[in-house]
Amino acid sequence: MFGFFRKKSSATTAKDRLTIAIMTDRENADAYPFMDQLKAEIIEVVKKYIGVKAIEIKKETQGDIDALSIDIKLEEK
Amino acid sequence: MGIVIAVISGKGGVGKTTTTANVGVGIALNDKKCVVVDFDIGQRNLDMILGLENRVVFDMVQVMDGEVGLKQALIKSKISPNLSFLAASQTKDKSVLNSEKILKLINDLKADFDYVILDAPAGIETGYEHTIEFADRAIIVVNPEVSSIRDADRAIGILDSKSQKVKDGEEVFKYLIINRINPKMVKSGEMLSSEDILDILNIPLVGKIPEDTAIIDASNQGKPIILNKKSEAGQAYERIAGRLCGNEIDMQDVENPKSGILHKFKGMFK
Repeated sequence: MFGFFRKKSSATTAKDRLTIAIMTDRENADAYPFMDQLKAEIIEVVKKYIGVKAIEIKKETQGDIDALSIDIKLEEK
Repeated sequence: MGIVIAVISGKGGVGKTTTTANVGVGIALNDKKCVVVDFDIGQRNLDMILGLENRVVFDMVQVMDGEVGLKQALIKSKISPNLSFLAASQTKDKSVLNSEKILKLINDLKADFDYVILDAPAGIETGYEHTIEFADRAIIVVNPEVSSIRDADRAIGILDSKSQKVKDGEEVFKYLIINRINPKMVKSGEMLSSEDILDILNIPLVGKIPEDTAIIDASNQGKPIILNKKSEAGQAYERIAGRLCGNEIDMQDVENPKSGILHKFKGMFK
Protein backbone atom coordinates (compact mmCIF):
# COMPACT_ATOMS: atom_id res chain seq x y z
CA MET A 1 0.00 0.00 0.00
CA PHE A 2 2.78 2.38 0.90
CA GLY A 3 5.01 0.78 -1.72
CA PHE A 4 3.82 3.53 -3.99
CA PHE A 5 5.80 6.09 -2.10
CA ARG A 6 8.84 3.96 -1.46
CA LYS A 7 11.88 4.14 -3.68
CA LYS A 8 12.90 1.14 -5.77
CA SER A 9 13.78 -1.84 -3.56
CA SER A 10 17.45 -2.68 -3.33
CA ALA A 11 16.83 -6.18 -4.70
CA THR A 12 15.49 -4.63 -7.90
CA THR A 13 18.55 -2.41 -8.12
CA ALA A 14 20.73 -5.49 -7.62
CA LYS A 15 18.92 -7.36 -10.40
CA ASP A 16 19.25 -4.47 -12.85
CA ARG A 17 22.92 -3.95 -12.12
CA LEU A 18 23.67 -7.67 -12.29
CA THR A 19 21.86 -8.12 -15.58
CA ILE A 20 23.99 -5.44 -17.23
CA ALA A 21 27.27 -6.57 -15.63
CA ILE A 22 26.73 -10.19 -16.64
CA MET A 23 25.71 -9.27 -20.17
CA THR A 24 28.95 -7.34 -20.57
CA ASP A 25 30.97 -10.19 -19.04
CA ARG A 26 29.42 -12.72 -21.41
CA GLU A 27 29.98 -10.50 -24.44
CA ASN A 28 33.63 -10.18 -23.58
CA ALA A 29 34.03 -13.89 -23.00
CA ASP A 30 32.35 -14.77 -26.28
CA ALA A 31 33.83 -11.94 -28.31
CA TYR A 32 36.87 -13.84 -29.43
CA PRO A 33 36.75 -17.61 -29.13
CA PHE A 34 40.32 -17.77 -30.42
CA MET A 35 41.61 -15.94 -27.35
CA ASP A 36 43.40 -18.98 -25.88
CA GLN A 37 45.11 -19.69 -29.17
CA LEU A 38 46.12 -16.05 -29.49
CA LYS A 39 47.56 -16.12 -25.98
CA ALA A 40 49.59 -19.24 -26.71
CA GLU A 41 51.00 -17.79 -29.92
CA ILE A 42 51.93 -14.45 -28.35
CA ILE A 43 53.70 -16.30 -25.54
CA GLU A 44 55.66 -18.30 -28.13
CA VAL A 45 56.82 -15.14 -29.91
CA VAL A 46 57.73 -13.17 -26.80
CA LYS A 47 59.49 -16.18 -25.28
CA LYS A 48 62.04 -16.07 -28.09
CA TYR A 49 63.33 -12.87 -26.55
CA ILE A 50 62.39 -12.87 -22.89
CA GLY A 51 60.88 -15.23 -20.28
CA VAL A 52 57.10 -14.98 -19.90
CA LYS A 53 55.19 -15.92 -16.78
CA ALA A 54 51.62 -15.11 -17.71
CA ILE A 55 49.59 -13.22 -20.24
CA GLU A 56 46.22 -11.57 -20.07
CA ILE A 57 44.22 -10.19 -22.99
CA LYS A 58 41.15 -8.07 -22.44
CA LYS A 59 38.79 -6.36 -24.81
CA GLU A 60 38.22 -2.79 -23.80
CA THR A 61 35.72 -0.36 -25.19
CA GLN A 62 36.11 3.38 -24.91
CA GLY A 63 33.44 5.32 -26.70
CA ASP A 64 33.44 4.13 -30.31
CA ILE A 65 36.82 2.46 -30.11
CA ASP A 66 37.35 -1.22 -29.28
CA ALA A 67 40.83 -2.20 -28.22
CA LEU A 68 42.65 -5.30 -27.06
CA SER A 69 44.80 -4.72 -24.03
CA ILE A 70 47.56 -7.26 -23.66
CA ASP A 71 49.35 -7.61 -20.36
CA ILE A 72 52.44 -9.78 -20.34
CA LYS A 73 53.91 -10.68 -17.00
CA LEU A 74 57.61 -11.47 -17.25
CA GLU A 75 59.45 -14.16 -15.36
CA GLU A 76 61.23 -13.01 -12.25
CA LYS A 77 64.96 -12.63 -12.61
CA MET B 1 30.20 -46.33 -14.13
CA GLY B 2 29.66 -43.55 -11.61
CA ILE B 3 28.60 -39.98 -12.26
CA VAL B 4 31.09 -37.18 -11.64
CA ILE B 5 29.62 -34.00 -10.15
CA ALA B 6 31.79 -30.92 -9.61
CA VAL B 7 30.64 -28.47 -6.94
CA ILE B 8 31.57 -24.96 -8.06
CA SER B 9 30.79 -21.36 -7.17
CA GLY B 10 33.32 -18.93 -8.57
CA LYS B 11 33.32 -16.83 -5.43
CA GLY B 12 34.63 -18.28 -2.19
CA GLY B 13 32.76 -18.44 1.08
CA VAL B 14 29.31 -19.13 -0.33
CA GLY B 15 29.00 -22.63 1.11
CA LYS B 16 30.63 -24.81 -1.53
CA THR B 17 32.43 -27.13 0.87
CA THR B 18 29.41 -27.34 3.18
CA THR B 19 27.31 -28.26 0.16
CA THR B 20 29.77 -30.91 -1.00
CA ALA B 21 29.82 -32.51 2.44
CA ASN B 22 26.06 -32.51 2.90
CA VAL B 23 25.20 -33.62 -0.60
CA GLY B 24 27.76 -36.42 -0.23
CA VAL B 25 26.28 -37.59 3.07
CA GLY B 26 22.74 -37.27 1.67
CA ILE B 27 23.50 -39.35 -1.40
CA ALA B 28 25.17 -42.02 0.72
CA LEU B 29 22.10 -42.11 2.97
CA ASN B 30 20.04 -42.71 -0.17
CA ASP B 31 21.87 -46.04 -0.48
CA LYS B 32 24.23 -44.97 -3.24
CA LYS B 33 27.97 -45.46 -3.08
CA CYS B 34 29.44 -42.01 -2.92
CA VAL B 35 32.94 -40.53 -2.67
CA VAL B 36 33.68 -36.88 -1.97
CA VAL B 37 37.03 -35.52 -3.10
CA ASP B 38 38.59 -32.26 -1.94
CA PHE B 39 40.17 -30.59 -4.98
CA ASP B 40 41.13 -27.48 -3.05
CA ILE B 41 44.84 -28.24 -2.97
CA GLY B 42 46.66 -26.29 -0.27
CA GLN B 43 43.45 -25.28 1.49
CA ARG B 44 42.04 -28.51 2.79
CA ASN B 45 38.70 -28.00 4.53
CA LEU B 46 36.25 -30.69 3.54
CA ASP B 47 37.86 -33.05 6.07
CA MET B 48 36.90 -30.70 8.92
CA ILE B 49 33.32 -30.23 7.75
CA LEU B 50 32.97 -34.02 7.59
CA GLY B 51 34.71 -34.46 10.96
CA LEU B 52 37.42 -36.62 9.41
CA GLU B 53 40.49 -34.40 9.85
CA ASN B 54 42.12 -36.75 12.36
CA ARG B 55 41.85 -39.70 10.03
CA VAL B 56 43.63 -38.23 7.02
CA VAL B 57 46.86 -40.10 6.35
CA PHE B 58 47.28 -39.88 2.59
CA ASP B 59 45.96 -37.35 0.10
CA MET B 60 44.80 -37.32 -3.52
CA VAL B 61 48.09 -35.95 -4.82
CA GLN B 62 49.94 -38.93 -3.35
CA VAL B 63 47.41 -41.20 -5.05
CA MET B 64 47.82 -39.42 -8.38
CA ASP B 65 51.61 -39.65 -8.10
CA GLY B 66 51.37 -43.37 -7.41
CA GLU B 67 52.95 -43.06 -3.96
CA VAL B 68 50.00 -44.85 -2.36
CA GLY B 69 47.09 -46.90 -3.61
CA LEU B 70 43.62 -45.39 -3.88
CA LYS B 71 42.19 -47.86 -1.36
CA GLN B 72 44.78 -46.81 1.23
CA ALA B 73 43.99 -43.13 0.83
CA LEU B 74 40.20 -43.39 0.88
CA ILE B 75 38.66 -42.75 4.29
CA LYS B 76 35.39 -44.45 5.16
CA SER B 77 32.95 -42.19 6.98
CA LYS B 78 31.28 -43.51 10.13
CA ILE B 79 28.06 -41.79 9.07
CA SER B 80 27.42 -44.34 6.36
CA PRO B 81 29.36 -47.28 4.95
CA ASN B 82 28.42 -45.90 1.52
CA LEU B 83 30.42 -42.71 2.03
CA SER B 84 34.15 -42.35 1.40
CA PHE B 85 36.38 -39.31 1.41
CA LEU B 86 39.63 -38.42 -0.32
CA ALA B 87 41.58 -35.49 1.13
CA ALA B 88 43.29 -32.65 -0.68
CA SER B 89 47.01 -32.22 -0.27
CA GLN B 90 47.73 -29.52 2.29
CA THR B 91 51.42 -29.03 1.55
CA LYS B 92 51.64 -28.99 -2.23
CA ASP B 93 50.29 -26.28 -4.47
CA LYS B 94 47.87 -26.40 -7.39
CA SER B 95 50.62 -26.70 -9.98
CA VAL B 96 51.03 -30.40 -9.16
CA LEU B 97 47.77 -31.23 -10.94
CA ASN B 98 47.79 -32.40 -14.51
CA SER B 99 44.99 -33.63 -16.74
CA GLU B 100 46.36 -37.10 -17.36
CA LYS B 101 46.73 -37.92 -13.67
CA ILE B 102 43.34 -36.44 -12.81
CA LEU B 103 41.61 -38.47 -15.51
CA LYS B 104 43.12 -41.68 -14.19
CA LEU B 105 42.09 -40.88 -10.61
CA ILE B 106 38.56 -40.01 -11.67
CA ASN B 107 38.20 -43.11 -13.81
CA ASP B 108 39.35 -45.26 -10.89
CA LEU B 109 36.81 -43.60 -8.61
CA LYS B 110 34.02 -43.94 -11.19
CA ALA B 111 34.65 -47.66 -11.34
CA ASP B 112 34.03 -48.03 -7.59
CA PHE B 113 31.36 -45.46 -6.80
CA ASP B 114 27.93 -44.42 -8.07
CA TYR B 115 28.62 -40.74 -7.37
CA VAL B 116 31.98 -38.97 -7.42
CA ILE B 117 31.62 -35.48 -5.94
CA LEU B 118 34.45 -32.99 -6.41
CA ASP B 119 34.78 -29.91 -4.22
CA ALA B 120 36.32 -27.24 -6.46
CA PRO B 121 38.60 -24.50 -5.16
CA ALA B 122 37.21 -20.96 -5.22
CA GLY B 123 38.15 -18.79 -8.17
CA ILE B 124 38.43 -19.69 -11.83
CA GLU B 125 42.12 -20.49 -12.07
CA THR B 126 43.79 -23.76 -13.10
CA GLY B 127 42.76 -25.60 -9.92
CA TYR B 128 39.15 -24.88 -10.81
CA GLU B 129 39.64 -25.81 -14.46
CA HIS B 130 41.10 -29.16 -13.45
CA THR B 131 38.12 -29.86 -11.18
CA ILE B 132 35.56 -29.33 -13.94
CA GLU B 133 37.65 -30.94 -16.67
CA PHE B 134 36.13 -34.41 -16.42
CA ALA B 135 32.83 -33.57 -14.74
CA ASP B 136 29.59 -35.02 -16.09
CA ARG B 137 27.49 -32.57 -14.14
CA ALA B 138 28.01 -29.51 -11.98
CA ILE B 139 26.36 -28.09 -8.89
CA ILE B 140 26.62 -24.31 -8.84
CA VAL B 141 26.31 -22.79 -5.36
CA VAL B 142 25.34 -19.13 -5.10
CA ASN B 143 24.26 -16.69 -2.39
CA PRO B 144 21.54 -14.14 -3.19
CA GLU B 145 24.14 -11.45 -3.55
CA VAL B 146 25.58 -9.65 -6.59
CA SER B 147 29.24 -10.69 -6.40
CA SER B 148 28.40 -14.35 -5.89
CA ILE B 149 26.03 -14.43 -8.87
CA ARG B 150 28.38 -12.60 -11.18
CA ASP B 151 31.30 -14.86 -10.27
CA ALA B 152 29.12 -17.94 -10.69
CA ASP B 153 28.24 -16.83 -14.21
CA ARG B 154 31.95 -16.57 -15.06
CA ALA B 155 32.58 -20.02 -13.60
CA ILE B 156 29.70 -21.42 -15.66
CA GLY B 157 31.18 -19.80 -18.78
CA ILE B 158 34.46 -21.62 -18.19
CA LEU B 159 32.65 -24.88 -17.47
CA ASP B 160 30.85 -24.51 -20.81
CA SER B 161 34.04 -23.97 -22.75
CA LYS B 162 36.76 -25.99 -21.03
CA SER B 163 35.25 -29.22 -19.78
CA GLN B 164 36.02 -32.36 -21.74
CA LYS B 165 32.34 -33.14 -22.23
CA VAL B 166 31.76 -29.81 -23.96
CA LYS B 167 34.86 -30.32 -26.10
CA ASP B 168 33.34 -33.66 -27.14
CA GLY B 169 30.19 -31.84 -28.22
CA GLU B 170 28.09 -32.84 -25.21
CA GLU B 171 26.65 -30.78 -22.40
CA VAL B 172 27.56 -30.66 -18.72
CA PHE B 173 24.26 -30.73 -16.87
CA LYS B 174 23.98 -27.98 -14.28
CA TYR B 175 22.14 -27.76 -10.99
CA LEU B 176 21.74 -24.48 -9.15
CA ILE B 177 21.68 -24.28 -5.36
CA ILE B 178 20.75 -20.95 -3.80
CA ASN B 179 22.25 -20.87 -0.35
CA ARG B 180 21.78 -18.54 2.63
CA ILE B 181 18.35 -17.23 1.71
CA ASN B 182 16.99 -14.81 4.27
CA PRO B 183 13.20 -15.04 3.78
CA LYS B 184 12.49 -11.81 5.64
CA MET B 185 14.87 -9.84 3.48
CA VAL B 186 13.49 -11.38 0.28
CA LYS B 187 9.99 -10.38 1.37
CA SER B 188 10.96 -6.82 2.11
CA GLY B 189 12.75 -6.49 -1.21
CA GLU B 190 16.21 -6.23 0.29
CA MET B 191 17.44 -9.53 -1.10
CA LEU B 192 17.33 -11.02 -4.60
CA SER B 193 14.60 -13.64 -4.86
CA SER B 194 15.12 -17.09 -6.39
CA GLU B 195 13.14 -16.00 -9.44
CA ASP B 196 15.49 -13.04 -9.94
CA ILE B 197 18.52 -15.29 -9.73
CA LEU B 198 17.03 -17.91 -12.07
CA ASP B 199 16.18 -15.15 -14.58
CA ILE B 200 19.79 -14.02 -14.60
CA LEU B 201 21.63 -17.36 -14.55
CA ASN B 202 19.06 -19.40 -16.45
CA ILE B 203 20.03 -22.84 -15.15
CA PRO B 204 17.78 -25.41 -13.46
CA LEU B 205 17.28 -25.10 -9.72
CA VAL B 206 17.93 -28.15 -7.54
CA GLY B 207 17.31 -26.55 -4.17
CA LYS B 208 17.04 -23.49 -1.98
CA ILE B 209 18.68 -23.34 1.44
CA PRO B 210 17.61 -20.84 4.07
CA GLU B 211 20.17 -19.06 6.20
CA ASP B 212 20.53 -21.20 9.31
CA THR B 213 22.72 -20.50 12.32
CA ALA B 214 22.85 -24.23 13.05
CA ILE B 215 25.34 -24.54 10.15
CA ILE B 216 28.08 -22.93 12.27
CA ASP B 217 27.37 -25.36 15.08
CA ALA B 218 27.48 -28.25 12.61
CA SER B 219 30.86 -27.23 11.23
CA ASN B 220 32.18 -26.57 14.76
CA GLN B 221 31.45 -30.19 15.56
CA GLY B 222 32.30 -31.72 12.20
CA LYS B 223 28.79 -33.13 11.88
CA PRO B 224 27.21 -32.16 8.56
CA ILE B 225 23.96 -30.22 9.05
CA ILE B 226 21.97 -32.81 7.08
CA LEU B 227 22.21 -35.04 10.16
CA ASN B 228 20.34 -32.41 12.18
CA LYS B 229 16.78 -33.30 11.24
CA LYS B 230 15.37 -30.23 12.98
CA SER B 231 17.40 -27.71 11.07
CA GLU B 232 15.85 -26.11 8.01
CA ALA B 233 19.13 -26.09 6.11
CA GLY B 234 19.61 -29.78 6.94
CA GLN B 235 16.15 -30.60 5.60
CA ALA B 236 16.87 -28.58 2.47
CA TYR B 237 20.05 -30.60 1.86
CA GLU B 238 18.14 -33.81 2.40
CA ARG B 239 15.69 -32.82 -0.34
CA ILE B 240 18.53 -31.81 -2.65
CA ALA B 241 20.32 -35.13 -2.16
CA GLY B 242 17.07 -36.95 -2.93
CA ARG B 243 16.60 -34.97 -6.14
CA LEU B 244 20.18 -35.68 -7.20
CA CYS B 245 19.43 -39.38 -6.74
CA GLY B 246 16.51 -39.04 -9.12
CA ASN B 247 13.66 -38.84 -6.60
CA GLU B 248 10.77 -36.49 -7.31
CA ILE B 249 10.60 -34.09 -4.39
CA ASP B 250 8.51 -30.93 -4.48
CA MET B 251 10.37 -27.64 -4.27
CA GLN B 252 9.75 -26.14 -0.84
CA ASP B 253 8.89 -22.46 -0.67
CA VAL B 254 11.83 -21.54 1.51
CA GLU B 255 11.23 -17.84 0.95
CA ASN B 256 7.72 -18.01 2.41
CA PRO B 257 7.96 -20.23 5.47
CA LYS B 258 4.79 -20.95 7.39
CA SER B 259 4.46 -18.23 9.95
CA GLY B 260 0.82 -18.34 11.02
CA ILE B 261 -0.06 -17.84 14.66
CA LEU B 262 -0.68 -21.55 15.11
CA HIS B 263 2.74 -22.36 13.69
CA LYS B 264 4.41 -19.89 16.03
CA PHE B 265 2.40 -21.27 18.91
CA LYS B 266 3.53 -24.79 18.10
CA GLY B 267 7.09 -23.53 17.83
CA MET B 268 6.99 -22.39 21.43
CA PHE B 269 6.63 -25.97 22.62
CA LYS B 270 9.36 -27.48 20.49
